[in-house]
Amino acid sequence: MRKMPDNSQPDVRIFYANTRFEQMARRPGGVPRQKAMAQAQAKIDELKSGFNDWLDRELRQLNDALAKVENDLNDNASLETAYRNCAQLQSVCAAMGFELVTFVAENLCKIISTMMSGAAYDKDIVDCHINAFLLAKTDQYRAMSPEQVPEMASGLRRVVELAGRNSVRKSAAMDE
Amino acid sequence: MKNATVNLRNLVTVVADPSSYWRRAIYGILRSFGANKVLEVEHSMDLIRILSSQKIDILIVDTQIHPHNWHKLTHMIRRNATNENRTVPILLMSNDTSERIVKDARDAGANMVVAKLMSPNILYDRLCWIAFNPRPFVDCPSYFGPDRRFKIEGYPGGVGRRKGDKIIKVAEEVGPALAQDDIDSLFKAAKTDAQDA
Repeated sequence: MRKMPDNSQPDVRIFYANTRFEQMARRPGGVPRQKAMAQAQAKIDELKSGFNDWLDRELRQLNDALAKVENDLNDNASLETAYRNCAQLQSVCAAMGFELVTFVAENLCKIISTMMSGAAYDKDIVDCHINAFLLAKTDQYRAMSPEQVPEMASGLRRVVELAGRNSVRKSAAMDE
Repeated sequence: MKNATVNLRNLVTVVADPSSYWRRAIYGILRSFGANKVLEVEHSMDLIRILSSQKIDILIVDTQIHPHNWHKLTHMIRRNATNENRTVPILLMSNDTSERIVKDARDAGANMVVAKLMSPNILYDRLCWIAFNPRPFVDCPSYFGPDRRFKIEGYPGGVGRRKGDKIIKVAEEVGPALAQDDIDSLFKAAKTDAQDA
């Protein structure tokens, strides 16, 4: 029987939940760590082979969402969808070690974020990122770091910087 | 902990992540660990439905879950006194493991935060940690969740803040580790550096 910790204040209750997870996960008979790791790694390798399809699908969805925003600048739902798509691209590609796609996704997330806080939709900026995605997702570029494609990286960084500045300027004008 | 084996058979595990890719990855990893009851959830609405209709054993949730955000969800799970899943272990996955996120997660009642560049090894470790190092729950007007001080294992000399805190055994003092000359030279160097600055 586990000794209960002392409750120092009357309105504080401290207890051990002794959850089903704690009880059952400690049972003998689990998959040994080494075997579990080998099996998990095999699953991950399997998933990696389907990565291209997933990436194409996500980019298509991102494109669709941004096209909707372009048609209706007040379509906040599509803007949020685009943001989520982009964040997922960033998350998954970072985990898979695809630095350049991660970098482009991170940039576009920042751009969409400024749009969500009131900056104008700029088709050129969006198109520039979509084109960067198309290049970055190719086998040749995917694993490269932004430093290995300095012109593209500095160009995209500059675009984000300008978008941020415009956003600040616009919100200042609105405050006035 | 490195040699511990976790048995996930017949434990209901819920993976809540808006990314289908991640869900598939975590699902695959958990199945490799021996889990046979893994539920995948894309939206918070589905998660709420599951939580209110069945008992689950562990929740692995991404910080990008929507439309309810992870903070609200965690709070909702922990503060609902009538929910049977109130004490379920919550493992939060995030791309952003900045101090702010970790603190927010801790204060909302999550058990752990895992960086999203998660390897099978790390996930296995975290599951073992939750299973073999149970933390007491704290229930007070402003918080319900695992004890947030779980890294504090006690204080030397038995000076714990609570009677329940473990005591760390430290070695007996056997004499000064540095000679007086060594100590003096350290101070001298610091003084010289300060003067140079």
